Amino acid sequence: MRTLLGGRTARDLMVVVVLVFGVGSIAMLLAHVSPLDGFGALFDGAFGTREEVAETLVQTTNLLFPALGIAIAFRAGLFNIGAEGQLVLGGFAAGWLGAQVPLPAVLAVPMVLIAGTLAGGAWGAIPGFLRARYGANEVIATLMLNVIAVLLATYLVNGPLALPGSGASETPTLPHAAQLGDLVANSRLTWAFPIALVLAFALRWLLQRTVFGYELRAAGDAPEAAKRAGIDLGRTALIAMTLSGAMAGLGGATIVAGELHRFNTGLSPGYGFIAIAVALVGNLDPLWIIVAAFAFGVLQSGGIAMQAEAGVPRDVVSLVTGLVIIALAGRRVVATRRTT
Amino acid sequence: MQAVDGVDLELFPGEIHALVGENGAGKSTLAAIAYGAVRPDEGTVTAAGVVGLVHQHFKLIERLRVWENVLLNREPRRGLTIDTGAARERVRALGEAYGLRVDPDAVVETLPVGIKQRVELLRELDREPAVLLLDEPTASLAPGEIASFFATVAGLAARGTAILVVTHKLAEVIAYSARVTVMRAGAVVARHRTSDTSADQIAREMVGGEVPAVAARADRPVEPLLEARGFSAVSGTSELIDATFTVGAGEIVGIAGIEGNGQSALADALAGVIAFTGALSLAGTPLRPDEGPAGRLQRGVRVIPQDRRREALVLDWNVRDNAVLGRQRVIPFARYGETARELIARFDVRPPNLDAIVGMLSGGNQQKIVVGRALAGAPALIVAYQPTRGIDIGAAILVQSRLIEARNAGAGVLLISFELDEIFACADRVLVLAQGRIAGEFTHETIDRGRIGSLMAGRT
Amino acid sequence: MSALVAGILAVLTLTLIKATPLIYAALGGVLSERSGVVNIGLEGILIAGAFTSVVVSGATGSPVVGALCGIVAGALLAAILAYGATRLGVDQIVAGTGLNIAALAAAAFGIVLVYHQPGATHEVPAFGRAGETTLIVLAFAMAVLLHVILNRTPWGLHVRACGEDPGAAEAAGIDALRTRFTAVVIGGAIASLGGVYLALAELDLYSDGMTAGRGFIALAAVIFGRWTPLGATGAALFFGFFSALQFSLQRAGIASELMQALPYLAAVVALAGFAGRVRAPASDGVPYVRT
Repeated sequence: MRTLLGGRTARDLMVVVVLVFGVGSIAMLLAHVSPLDGFGALFDGAFGTREEVAETLVQTTNLLFPALGIAIAFRAGLFNIGAEGQLVLGGFAAGWLGAQVPLPAVLAVPMVLIAGTLAGGAWGAIPGFLRARYGANEVIATLMLNVIAVLLATYLVNGPLALPGSGASETPTLPHAAQLGDLVANSRLTWAFPIALVLAFALRWLLQRTVFGYELRAAGDAPEAAKRAGIDLGRTALIAMTLSGAMAGLGGATIVAGELHRFNTGLSPGYGFIAIAVALVGNLDPLWIIVAAFAFGVLQSGGIAMQAEAGVPRDVVSLVTGLVIIALAGRRVVATRRTT
Repeated sequence: MQAVDGVDLELFPGEIHALVGENGAGKSTLAAIAYGAVRPDEGTVTAAGVVGLVHQHFKLIERLRVWENVLLNREPRRGLTIDTGAARERVRALGEAYGLRVDPDAVVETLPVGIKQRVELLRELDREPAVLLLDEPTASLAPGEIASFFATVAGLAARGTAILVVTHKLAEVIAYSARVTVMRAGAVVARHRTSDTSADQIAREMVGGEVPAVAARADRPVEPLLEARGFSAVSGTSELIDATFTVGAGEIVGIAGIEGNGQSALADALAGVIAFTGALSLAGTPLRPDEGPAGRLQRGVRVIPQDRRREALVLDWNVRDNAVLGRQRVIPFARYGETARELIARFDVRPPNLDAIVGMLSGGNQQKIVVGRALAGAPALIVAYQPTRGIDIGAAILVQSRLIEARNAGAGVLLISFELDEIFACADRVLVLAQGRIAGEFTHETIDRGRIGSLMAGRT
Repeated sequence: MSALVAGILAVLTLTLIKATPLIYAALGGVLSERSGVVNIGLEGILIAGAFTSVVVSGATGSPVVGALCGIVAGALLAAILAYGATRLGVDQIVAGTGLNIAALAAAAFGIVLVYHQPGATHEVPAFGRAGETTLIVLAFAMAVLLHVILNRTPWGLHVRACGEDPGAAEAAGIDALRTRFTAVVIGGAIASLGGVYLALAELDLYSDGMTAGRGFIALAAVIFGRWTPLGATGAALFFGFFSALQFSLQRAGIASELMQALPYLAAVVALAGFAGRVRAPASDGVPYVRT
């Protein structure tokens, strides 16, 4: 049973605000920084100039993709804690393929994005398959696969799939044709942002207005009743986890094609985990998740400035994020399931 | 709405007092208050000693042993550890003293339902209660076992315990109780010495008037529909063994039996939730064990499951989305609302609001949605498993009538019920299920309560 | 020949060393889950134990005092989860995940605050051979102790009852919420010793990410150990063996990343093999709400 909409959402957002400002202030004081200076630097860093707003939107985008994926999994009754690994492998697939295959822009960009989507989807399909076929606990599977994903990508990019002209643990720069176009000059904001917004709307439509979404939600909200209504729980689990991974993978691909223009094993500062908070704050509703992604995007981009200008370690942002997740764990995010 | 409103109840030692009312009248809530598990908003509860409660749905921990359940939180100690030898001995002695023998080391989940009830009873008796509350105690007993159960209870009463039996079985009330209190909609509506009243009078007081009649069964020809031969299945602890029977289109076949004798395996196998062995065919074409619920739904088999909250409804969703569950692919998405409105109208779902959240509806209205859904679209075979469990009499009569109407219109109905009265009222033929096997078959004319009771208890 | 024997002994010793933190974490997980609370936050508790023990040892000069404070830190973190799980009825998996993220961040923040450098602490007074051996032996002793407690004592029976059916336990007069809370906190205290071992016995400092997902492997060990203390210990040894193998094979020249992935791969493969054949405590992960 998800926490319900309406008044609860408002209260939950209040909790988020209190945690952010309360715990944030305490942490800043411990670092001998006045909260005014600290938060000032944070918000100034997020909104100060046009380029800084663009950067905030970049962070929003990077969170939005995996958060949408995590939300889909949650709605189907599954925990996808592996978005980070799916994102990394998606980015790797995009970076590697994009550097290898020269194509005109109109084909290169979709190829790169699709490659990332497929790679992430495949990595999400593994725990989905284990769950569908063996009833294996996807929480542990996705956690393990996170670690394995990073190790795998590192191994491949430095070893058998290493490409000439690349640095350590990264792929060479993507040809211009494979890069996503900028939306705002002098920034890293690209078409990835509107793509993410469209994806959010598409997911909402999928969940609320299609039979597929109906069955997916039924599997999440009342698995036994869904089973008896002819819904194949195993198949639903597999599709949901694949879709979930695909979205995270697409996110990785947009980071590679849009911001970095190459794959690097350090491309994500934990987006896959922060996205869990984003999905929860957004109440697992794709449209609210856009708002939540923006809120956390502010924290992420402002956090960089906060560290640079006011000397407050960025870890404060992660700390607050973790606390938000605990606070919004809510009553039974996912219905009871009988698995290990 | 008050579950219990302004109730006075007095229990005297040495007396068996019956508390009756239909489902939802507040009997179980009152028992919980008397036990102390629920605190009343107003009023007091006083008892001259320990109060014990044997619950309708046992509060036993399945994976622990008998002695662990009986002595939970009262374990005999030796130093810092449990004295398991003393514990086993105490349970054995207790069983002997009350004539309720059990194996102290048995793991509860392996025990048949009747024995589990003994464990539940022993747990309370170990506390030497002055007052003993029994909530629907004979639900899991064969007609033959009920007499010996009440003999045990009478023995307890003779030792000075005050006994309250919460039940809806009027025959038992008349036969075994000294006093009866009747509840309706949370309030006490009547009190009698049992000798001064009759089952009919109590029934009228329970319902607040005359009990409406069920729809009539029309005379109609019966064609073969469902054929089972050597049909066997296992669902958890429920086992169906080698069942051979038929259900015709245009008839209701009642499956009589005590809970725990294979009914769940039967229902789940027909629903496609579990596999089966043996031969099963519908209208001449075989049903395959691996079809799954989707396949069964396509063949026109509709199951009304035993546990609507867990197995039939999505409690968080609204009426509209629940009304199409099971036919979500057959009905176009845009027509979900229209379908739901038809169901609400035909089955008198209250409140008649598409957006009402089903979890907030009463049990009766929830069940109307489940039944309405199952009967929609002219199914070939309807498996109704305890279709009137836990709902008020008005909803129960409506459900039974709709099933009969479906039968009149040519559907085949398999009615699995633990209430013999329900089966006798609705069924054309009765099959008795005992220990997983079909023990006997009766037509409406040859029904013999005594014989059926014996078969249910496993005596041939 | 003696080189082979020496090699095998080395792997066995390394297995014990690698398994010990897993054993502590898994035992903590077993106690928690037997009472009905899934503790995904074991990773965070390991971090708390490791970081706190290092800082305190550095400040007091005594690894023992550091260890004790590490235990307290682990218990406190577990108490947060326990409170959320029992009084608030939150989703335990989500809360545990948040705990891990918060703990990792708090430790990273703490490093900068205390040592004015990011990434790792300074080296601090740590356990020598004797201390390390004691901690290893203690882990096994703890496993046996937990086995006895769960199966032979009244409190252990109450814990198991709460994990199977808290409603029935309460009907017998047990305070299910309080029992679960206690079990989770004690479990956290035990688990944190795993972090203490990592930081003060195997090494002598704390660095970002040093726990490397061991808390999650411990969860897998709980499942494969069928939620029993002795079983989980055996499973932890199994995973520790794979970790040990990684070091030996690495020296044989196989790519380090693939070897590092061995224990995690083992966990995933074992999950597929074991799942569905073991049963968790019936109410594991289900918040108990008093009606």
